[in-house]
Amino acid sequence: MGNKRKKANRLLCLFLAALLAVGFIQQLPSGKGGSTVTAKAEAKESGDTFTVGFDASFPPYGYQDENGEYVGFDLDLAQEVCDRNGWKLVKQPIDWDSKDMELNSGNIDCIWNGFTMNGRENDYTWSTPYVDNSQVVVVPEDSDIQSLSDLEGKIVIVQNDSSALAAFTGDDATEENKELADSFKDLQQVADYNTAFMNMDSGMAEAVCMDIGVAQYQLAQRQGKYRMLDEQVSSEQYGIGFKKGNYELRDQVQKTLNEMEEDGTFDQIAEKWGLTDSVCLADTMTMDFADEKAASSADASSDSTASGAAIAAKGNSGSFGQRCLSICGQLGKGLLATLAIFFLTLLFSLPLGLLVTFVRRSRFKVLQWIARIFISILRGTPLMLQLLVVFYGPAILFGATLSYKWRFIAVIIGFSINYAAYFAEIFRSGIDNVPAGQTEAAQVLGLSRGQTFRHIIFPQMVKRVMPPVTNEVITLVKDTSLAYAIAYTEMFTIAQRIVARDANLMPLFVAGLFYYIFNALVAAVMARLEKKLSYFE
Amino acid sequence: MSDMLFKASHLKKSFGETEVLKDITVEVAQGEVVSILGPSGSGKSTFLRCATLLETMDGGSLEYEGKYAVRDEGGKAVYASGDELRKIRQSFGLVFQNFNLFPHYTALKNIMLSPVLTQKRNEEEVRKEAMVLLEKVGLSDKADAYPGQLSGGQKQRVAIARALAMNPKIIFFDEPTSALDPELTAGILRVLKDLAKEKMTMVIVTHEIQFAHDISDRVVFMADGNIIEQGRPQDVIDHPANQRTRDFLNLLTE
Repeated sequence: MGNKRKKANRLLCLFLAALLAVGFIQQLPSGKGGSTVTAKAEAKESGDTFTVGFDASFPPYGYQDENGEYVGFDLDLAQEVCDRNGWKLVKQPIDWDSKDMELNSGNIDCIWNGFTMNGRENDYTWSTPYVDNSQVVVVPEDSDIQSLSDLEGKIVIVQNDSSALAAFTGDDATEENKELADSFKDLQQVADYNTAFMNMDSGMAEAVCMDIGVAQYQLAQRQGKYRMLDEQVSSEQYGIGFKKGNYELRDQVQKTLNEMEEDGTFDQIAEKWGLTDSVCLADTMTMDFADEKAASSADASSDSTASGAAIAAKGNSGSFGQRCLSICGQLGKGLLATLAIFFLTLLFSLPLGLLVTFVRRSRFKVLQWIARIFISILRGTPLMLQLLVVFYGPAILFGATLSYKWRFIAVIIGFSINYAAYFAEIFRSGIDNVPAGQTEAAQVLGLSRGQTFRHIIFPQMVKRVMPPVTNEVITLVKDTSLAYAIAYTEMFTIAQRIVARDANLMPLFVAGLFYYIFNALVAAVMARLEKKLSYFE
Repeated sequence: MSDMLFKASHLKKSFGETEVLKDITVEVAQGEVVSILGPSGSGKSTFLRCATLLETMDGGSLEYEGKYAVRDEGGKAVYASGDELRKIRQSFGLVFQNFNLFPHYTALKNIMLSPVLTQKRNEEEVRKEAMVLLEKVGLSDKADAYPGQLSGGQKQRVAIARALAMNPKIIFFDEPTSALDPELTAGILRVLKDLAKEKMTMVIVTHEIQFAHDISDRVVFMADGNIIEQGRPQDVIDHPANQRTRDFLNLLTE
């Protein structure tokens, strides 16, 4: 009993910590101005790792290619910087909405990902701007919208937390843009550009506002179905964002970038990615840093020319069959991660669920209540939130520095305790449904409590819980895709990235087929198990 | 007194406000067969459950082979330690009204389970003994059948064999035939009669008056949580002294 109690206490501690973490996350500065987090001097030395956080669905700056490699203009720059300093580059895809938590918890060293500086000058320690970008409006080719004023009464889409959104509604948005946004019928937010275009295709929206580089890439991908308005919403610049106060690392990176500009390497990389006309490091490398002298926004002369077109052309090549095969191959890599989450979660959550059942059925009222609260909270809050708490909690609460493997461990912990709560309740009802006479017969025959559970109750419980457990297991197969909440790269995350890269929905259907086949196998295995257990009534 | 195999003294038990057992004293000697009769609600089953430690009693004492399972200390029932109780449990067996066989084990495994697990006896030896017991109850061909494949009467015979396998000094039967059809009842009663011939000590709660009359050394008549009358079956059943006993017997024989 003592051991059970200890374990239960440990679980409770973990859980209270998780709750506190939720509170902390809410306290975090959202947006600019409020950040008081200061990093200690964190200069890198040769041999150190340099972890770049990026949104892996943001071509051409950073994305996942057909071979599952993370590539892009920014990643090439980062690689070159690392090579020159003797650092080891770690390319860490992140969920864009969580970028501040990733940076502040030390999971990543910088955000280097077509990262707009304007409006965020005081939130990060910045490099000088190296790409000049602008926000433009994309409409269907046959649309009658010609200028920004035509957008009055229309539905316009932007990406969540994007520069386009900030340009319309942010604190630093110009009065003109605010008025423009007010004249829209609605300004809607979507998670990615593919969704944005789908909305436009289906007539649910009339225009999408986005970065010019992205717009050029998307227009090239979608071959003539859309066009860009000449008038621009705003001009803006990209920089590399470091944790506020981390000047040492920023200066190291900036110095190397400047060297790359001087010897021509920077421009070569820009040319490779079709961004020659967008880069501006040559003009800004001697400028004051943005966070020291806020907003030195040079008036952007964003005469943009086709940038993403070069790489965009590659994505949609090949026959339908070839593309299917290629997508299967790329998803296959994520399938391993999906399988790992699935099997490890089952491995840990089933015994943990049984343990929680024991605690829940304990003779001690206090233990019963601990188990009840544990179950109630884990079943009553979204799994996605629980994953965030487990992942960011340790760093935010205790300032723990976690290895990059923590991302995977956090996924397994989050899934395991969540499923344990469900299994605990299933097991409990399974045990309660074994007639009391069974326990009494065992007791009269002299079996101990342990023997009674092991030999009498447990085998009968297993048979009774098979149908509800099968339901949970099937749900788990699909829930593995929730790991994207903390940017763990599993199959569905990869599918979404391919969608972003190729501007084509097929990977999602292929992923859906994978899940379906997986679940058909799971259902078949569970049916066999049930049949095996049908030897008794 | 100490040659008594089982002794329950001044046993009291309440469920909430309801006094189910008011003051029950029963003694059973080695080799004796005692039947307990009485209308439903009289406390017969509760008495059996207290005697077999499935239910905790509120007052009184309980002894098996001169060892106290429950001691009366100033009107309070005080139980012996878990270890002592575990030893005492080896002295008795209980056959349930609804059998309570383990559905996930075969008839043979039901019988073998406890001797192997709790008495740590050799499995082969236990298996041989279990087969002998199955033969004794007329089910040697059902050793590998699961309870779900057996009739009610067959289940009850396996349950009796299961109780016998523990080599108990005394077996309690809680209405062993009341869940069975009349034609199946006869088979069970025959098994009990055989046991009585072998001088097995038995306490049987039953509604089978004729059977109780034939098999018992002593009959105990219970009503409203008290023992109203007890004695030889020829006296209690054939010539009851108490009006309540007469009413009950008349009701059954009508």
